[in-house]
Parts: sequence; C-alpha cells; structure tokens
Amino acid sequence: MLKVATTLRLLSKQQRLFATAANQHEALVNVPPTKLTVLDNGIRVATEDSGSATATVGLWIDAGSRYENSKNNGVAHFLEHMAFKGTSKRSQTDLELHVENMGAHLNAYTSREQTVFYAKCLANDVSSAIEILADIIQNSSLAEPEIERERGVILREMQDVESNLQEVVFDHLHATAFQGTPLGQTILGPTKNIKKISKSDLQQYIKTHYQPSRIVLSGAGGVEHGKLVDLAKKHLGGLKNTALDVPDITPCRYTGSEIRVRDDSMPLAHIAVAVEGAGWTDADNIPLMVANTLIGAWDRSQGGGANNASYLARAASLGNLCHSFQSFNTCYKDTGLWGIYFVSEPMQIEDMLYNIQSEWMKLCNSVTEGEVERAKNLLKTNMLLQLDGTTPVCEDIGRQILCYNRRIPIHELDARIEAVSVQNIREVCYKYLFDKCPAVAAVGPTEALPDYNRIRSGMYWLRV
Amino acid sequence: MSHLTDIKVLFSRLSSMKTSINTLRYGVRKFSQGDKPLPKGSVTPLPPLSEPMPNLPPVVYSSAKSEDSITEVTTLSNGLRVASEKKFGQFCTAGVVIDSGPRYEVTYPNGISHFLEKLSFGATHKFPTRDVMLRELERHGGICDCQGSRDTTVYATSADSRGLEAVTQVLAEVTLRPQLSVEEIEAARQAVAFELETLAMRPEQETILMDMIHSAAYKGNTLGLPKTCPKENVNKIDRGVIINFLKNHYTPDRMVVAAVGVEHGPFVEYVQKYFVDSKPTWYSPDDKEFKPMTDRSIAQYTGGVEQEDCEIPLYPGSDLPELAHIVIGMESCSHGDPDFVATCVLNMMMGGGGSFSAGGPGKGMYTRLYTNVLNRYHWMFNATAYNHAYGDTGLFCVHSASPPNRIYDTALVIARELANMAGKVGENELRRAKTQLQSMLLMNLEARPVVFEDVGRQVLATGKRKPPSYFINEIEKITADDIVRVARRMLSKRPSVAARGKLSHLPAFEEIQSNMASSKSDSQGRRLNLFRA
Repeated sequence: MLKVATTLRLLSKQQRLFATAANQHEALVNVPPTKLTVLDNGIRVATEDSGSATATVGLWIDAGSRYENSKNNGVAHFLEHMAFKGTSKRSQTDLELHVENMGAHLNAYTSREQTVFYAKCLANDVSSAIEILADIIQNSSLAEPEIERERGVILREMQDVESNLQEVVFDHLHATAFQGTPLGQTILGPTKNIKKISKSDLQQYIKTHYQPSRIVLSGAGGVEHGKLVDLAKKHLGGLKNTALDVPDITPCRYTGSEIRVRDDSMPLAHIAVAVEGAGWTDADNIPLMVANTLIGAWDRSQGGGANNASYLARAASLGNLCHSFQSFNTCYKDTGLWGIYFVSEPMQIEDMLYNIQSEWMKLCNSVTEGEVERAKNLLKTNMLLQLDGTTPVCEDIGRQILCYNRRIPIHELDARIEAVSVQNIREVCYKYLFDKCPAVAAVGPTEALPDYNRIRSGMYWLRV
Repeated sequence: MSHLTDIKVLFSRLSSMKTSINTLRYGVRKFSQGDKPLPKGSVTPLPPLSEPMPNLPPVVYSSAKSEDSITEVTTLSNGLRVASEKKFGQFCTAGVVIDSGPRYEVTYPNGISHFLEKLSFGATHKFPTRDVMLRELERHGGICDCQGSRDTTVYATSADSRGLEAVTQVLAEVTLRPQLSVEEIEAARQAVAFELETLAMRPEQETILMDMIHSAAYKGNTLGLPKTCPKENVNKIDRGVIINFLKNHYTPDRMVVAAVGVEHGPFVEYVQKYFVDSKPTWYSPDDKEFKPMTDRSIAQYTGGVEQEDCEIPLYPGSDLPELAHIVIGMESCSHGDPDFVATCVLNMMMGGGGSFSAGGPGKGMYTRLYTNVLNRYHWMFNATAYNHAYGDTGLFCVHSASPPNRIYDTALVIARELANMAGKVGENELRRAKTQLQSMLLMNLEARPVVFEDVGRQVLATGKRKPPSYFINEIEKITADDIVRVARRMLSKRPSVAARGKLSHLPAFEEIQSNMASSKSDSQGRRLNLFRA
C-alpha cells in the first residue's frame, strides 16, 4: 500500500500529436479531453471518458507524511490502513464483501505529499465505487480494537519495506538530503510513533488535512463527466472547509550530506547519489527529465548493454561495473531529488561512481545534439506508452491536478519537450549539478565507496 | 588474512554501526551548502508547468467511441497468418507470435529459447547493429520486447501507427533474418549466466518452482522441459544449434503476425513484402526438399515429485523467517477444452495470495485459499492457485510457502483443500468468482499489448479470435456442477509435487496423494481432529 513516487511521470496513454509548428492551425489530439469541474466546496472533479467497459475512480488528497512532525510522523500512512476497516455505515466485512462481489479492486497509498484512495471497477459500478470511497474518507469508524490490530500489521509492513533495499536506500537518502525537515521523515514513521498513535491523532489529522479544497476526484475509462460531478455533489458535497485552512508548508531545506550503513555480510552495495532537483511546477523539470532519460536505466540481465542508447549503460555492461542502475527525478512541491540509484559489487563501486560522475559532467559541458535528440524522443515515447489502461490514466489526472491544478494537454507537453535544446540541457545541468554538494545514501558492503570529499570533488571539472 | 585485518574489519563494522545509529538519532555529518541555496527561478525560458505555454495552436480532441472490435485474419501464400484489429488511438502494437518455446527443445540442448529471448531485437541483415534498429524504432516512438512461455514465443513492438511499415520490417528482420553474430551470442550467454546467478540469489522462488512443477508433471517430455537454461548448457549452446532450431521452428505455418490499432489491408501488404517476399537467413534455394522437424508429440502427463533440498536466500535486512516452498499440481485441461472456462472459474474461486500482500479489498479476500487456509493457519505465508493452459493439456496448481518446520502441515492442508474442490460449491462464492473473472478479463484487456497477445495466441491456436463478450457469456453459464465435474476430473489423476527449501519435514508423496484422494465423502469432522492448528 506504500508507494513512493520515484519519477516524475506526467502523461497518460494519450497519443502522439501531430506537428505543433507555429504555422499549424490546429493540433489534433487523438484522445478524449480531460474535463475539470470545481464544486462549491472546492472539490475538483476531473475525468477522461474513453467509453471503455471498465473504469478507475479515485480520491487524490493533498496530504502525506510531509505534513507531519516528529511527534505524529506515520499518521497519514496509519490512516490509509484504517481506511478499509469499516465505517459508520458498514462493517469491514460488509465493505470487503461488497467490493469483492462487484469484482472491483479498492486500493490506497500514501506518499510524502499525497494520499490516494482509488477503486477499479466495471463501468456500471462507478456510482457504487464513489459512494464507498466517499464513505471511507468521511466516516471511517477508527475503532480502538482495529487500531490496535493495525499497529501490528504496520510493523509487519515495515519489515517488508526493510527487505526492499531500494526503499531503504531512498528513505536514507531523504533522511540525509532533507535532514531536519518533514521531507526527511519516512512515510511509515518510526516504530515508537506507530506504537502510540491514538484515535484522536487520526481524527485530528483528518480534520486538518482532508479538506475539500485539497481533494481531487479523478476518473478514467467508462466515466461520464456530468454523472461523476453529480455523484461527487451527492456524496462529497457535504464536506466543509474548516477554519483550519491549508497549512503553509515549510520550505524543506536540502543539505548535501551522506549516510552509510555498512554491512559486509551483504553481497551487494545499494547506493543512491542525488542533487537537489526542481519542484513540480518548475519549467526546468522538463530538461531535467530529458537529462534523466539520457543517463537511462539498465540491469545486467538485459544484456546487450554495448548497444544501449545510454553511454552509462554501455560502460556498465562492458566494464561489468554494476548489476543495475536507474536514474531518477523525484519531485516535491518546492524541491526535488535528481540522481541515480545503483547496485554494485563492492570492488566495482568506485569505478561505477567515476563513470556516473563523468556522465554528469558531460551533461553540463559537452553533451551533444544527437544524444539530446535521442533522449527527447525516448522520453516522449516512454511518457506516451507508459500509461496504458484506466488506472494509469486516472492516476495521472489525479496527480497532475494536485500538482499543477490542471492537466497539461498532450500537445503542450510535446511542445515543451521539443523546446529542450542542447544549450538548455547544459544550462539546467550546470545549475543543478555542477559543483553542487550531493546527497549520498549507501547500504551494504560500502567500504570501497570513496569518502564524501572525493565524491564532492567529482562534481566539477577544472576545465572549460 | 592476519588478525590485524580481522580486527580492522570488526572495528570498522562496529564504528559503522555506531555512525548509522548516530545518523538516525542525531542527524548526520553536514556538508552543507549553507549560504548558497539553489537560485530561484528557472533557467528554462518557459512559464511554470502550472501555466499554459503561450502560442500553442488550438487543439481538437477526439470524442470517445468504442466500436466492437472485429479481428480480421488473412492467410498468405506460404501459410503465414496475419491478424489485425482496429482500435481507437494513435498507437499500435504489432508483433509476431510463434509456436516455439522450451517444449520443443527435446532433441536440442535445453535453454535455446532462453537464449533467443536474450538475443531478440539484435543485429539483422538490414540493421547492422541493435543500435541502428532501435533508432529506427525510436523514430516512430517505438519500443520492443520479446517474451516466451513454454510453448509460445512473442516478439512485440508498440509504436506510432504511421510507422507501421517500418515496424513490420523490424519484426520480419528480427524473427527471420537475425545475424546472431558470435559477439551477440557471447553477450547473450553472459546475460543468461547473470540471470541464473540472480535467480539463485533472490528469495523469490516462483520462476524456479514453475519449472520444477512442470518437470514433475511432464517428466522428461514437452512441457516438462525447463524454461530457464540449465547451468550446464550455458556454454553448450552455439550459433549452429540456434540457427538449426530457428530453421525448424520459425516457419510460416507456426507463426502469426498480429497487430492491434491498424488497418488490415496495408498491414497484410507489408507482411507480404517483408515476411514472404524476403527470405529468412537460413533459406537457401537448393534445399527445397527441406522438411522442418519438430517435436509433435502430445504432452504426456506423468505426475510425480521434484524436490530440491537447499537453502533459500532470505530477504536481506528483514526479520522474515526462512521459508520452504511447495507446489501441488494436477492435470487440468487445454485452452481448447470445453471445460477450460470452468477451470478458470475454479481457479478464481480458489484464489489466494500472500498472507501480507498489499492491496485492499478486491484481491480475492474471500477466495477459499484465504478463508479456509491463510486466515486459519497463520504460519502459512502464501497460498496461491494458478492454472496454466496449453494447446494439449493444462496444469492446475497451488503454490504455498511456510517456515520449514511447518512444511508437513502446509502440504497436507493444501492437499485437503484441493480434495475439497470436489465437494460442495456455495452459490455466493460461485457468483463472486464468476464476476471477478469477468471483471479481470475486461480489466486486463484495457492494455493494448494484452489485446495484441490475446489476438495472436488465439489465432495461432484456433485460426480466429473469440471476442471478450464470448468469454463473458461462457463464464456466466458455469454452474456448480461444472465446477465439481472439473475438480473430480483433475483429482482423478496422480498429483505432481514440487518442493524447494529445507525439506526434512516434507511428507512422502504417497501421503500427499492419499490426502487428496480420501475426502470424496464428507469427512469434515475427522479432518479437524487429525490436525492441530
């Protein structure tokens, strides 16, 4: 149920548009439009109706672990767990049976800035699904015995998260890069908080954060916009914005720093290196994503790295430098993390890191037009093809409305990517990468990872 | 290794532990950029993403239309079948579905199909390197992949429909005219070796277990041959062997070229041009007499046991205990069998999953493996039902995992639950399983690549595609009697068992077998007494 947004994904299964040259009179977009309606209480309803036999509808809420402090860190995630434990209208069993009997799926996840509840169902059951979602966020019963039981489940989930080293490394990366700020906290929260979060903590959190002006109802697939708006009015119209207005988020300070958790009994080292990236709405995000695509991702069972589009993949494959790597661009409201995660054998760490930093420096200085064009093309393809199906589209709508307060039309996105030039990439990378203090998180046999000052010194070149 | 280094290692471990504790509690060493935060304002000369870009042309959106899709099929002069379906949208998925895979490897060293997967979309006659070919695909916003099951190999690409001709050419090149240079084969060999290494290091056992249960069920023949290249064959497979396999199996009568989201007419034309008019690499005019040799034998279900006593890697850094895995399988039916749909409903009814799997209601919480097994026996970590259907047979199985000292109980609980399938079928659970199967079918078909694969596989097997609505109706017709009949049919044969992990507590095969057979009559009461939980 936990999901960390690792890459900035913008687009849905929408189609490639026709040329957007200035002399073109109209851009034809072969997708249904995204319709947006704002209800009186501030709830935003956004849909893309493709008329299919199935649909996904969900509530995207502008709340997550970022809005917590060290005392209540973990509450947002705890609430996600309580969501399916029954409401004042229906017991847990009723809820489960109702959903199972419809052949629907109910799911929820919490990230650092968003809490999401969604349902995937047959198009005929959309009204039922919305009624359930509305019931869950307004009338969750939060019964004491359930809270007690869920503590155990969450602690168990924590074990699961700990067994996923990528998540462990990313948690450490946040903890060090955003130390002393709410973004440095984990989503699950520390064990001591999970053990003592009380019913009133949960209620308080709902009261403060589940405000209609911070909720988006998103739908994709067989959903009619008008119908969805009516359903939203009926089931969510009663929500009121309380005096506790949207809290101003404190800006999260980035700190170049490192965490190493050395464990020589593990076979492989898991390492993330990142610099501060751009916030969601920053126009620099598009060139950052192109740069991100240029570095690429690879894992050694793919083989054929020698022919990979990414130079780093070629180097990694030819030199047997790592088992896998993936570059990432994680965005938050006012900041972000742009970097790379890799898994390497102990003795290869240093060479891998050297190659990574060389590629980064190339991005700032000598990246070529051919590379940039290729990465732009790949990025468009990935964004266009990635989201196939009603759930990815619904997810895309929900997130974009929360982040941008609109859904970026496909032809605009295409134009924005098209506008990225070599010069633009160099300038943006110079701004975010060159001579910046990286944040480093490493778990495993990390003895051979160069010390911080040496990593730092790989962030610039003494040449023009 | 001197004492000194040992002590050094120990010391550094201690100190690294200490720092990690420190970091969590007191914050880390700081290399702060201090007084120079990132400059405000973008370098990129465009408005923020929350605001529209100026000077964009006006846009015309299409309105939704979902026409009922009809699959058109054309058979070309050499027996190659071309199938396509229109689908709304600018993108198409096209590919080749081939009746080839590990099940045909009996006279070859096993693992060729695994190699072919790694070699897919490599250099061809037209495209001197993989890079050139990928660039051609990228020009049309395309991506590609190759995946195989035991009896089918699928090469697929997704791209802008206007690039259909180029995509068709790429597909023909990679299936019929690959270069398979020595360097490429060496690279594939390395990739296969790496994959075997990774498989052995990972706690996830599904891939290995599925090979084992198939091997137990079809001992030494067809579907029992391993999908993962055996270690000893990694260095045996060479260019000659692979070309010989391709020559015999990648023949027009065993292939379907399918596409979703294209016009049928032009597609057939392109396929004719690149698949029929241009010849495969292995074609030479003098062997007109060449008759492909393939293993045409029908899968022989043998049943039996396949086990490996070994240590299963733990999930690193977690407190999850070591697990032992057991899969119990039975022969079900082929996908052409009249009982196929009923078997799928039964599979849905058994359901199951991990005891701690993520996801809310809808994951099958009221399926039998949850209500009768996982919810009762809390030491069990996983119990999931699968049905693998092939052209001439099928394998229905349940995979479960528990700590090694509980593997005895686990095996018998699952065996009895399987026997129980021939018992009473509740009205509600049947209704639920049917609805869930219907919705799962429709949800899967949201994705274009899934539609493509469905079209390709159905046309390969039967020459036509039955639309989803056909299956929705068929599912609706299933009754409790159908379920019981299917279950009895499966239970009447010798079971197959695959087990991996620390197996000292594994019951004998006969004991599992007798537990699956005994409960034709209702022995519910005795059953509970027999068993401590």
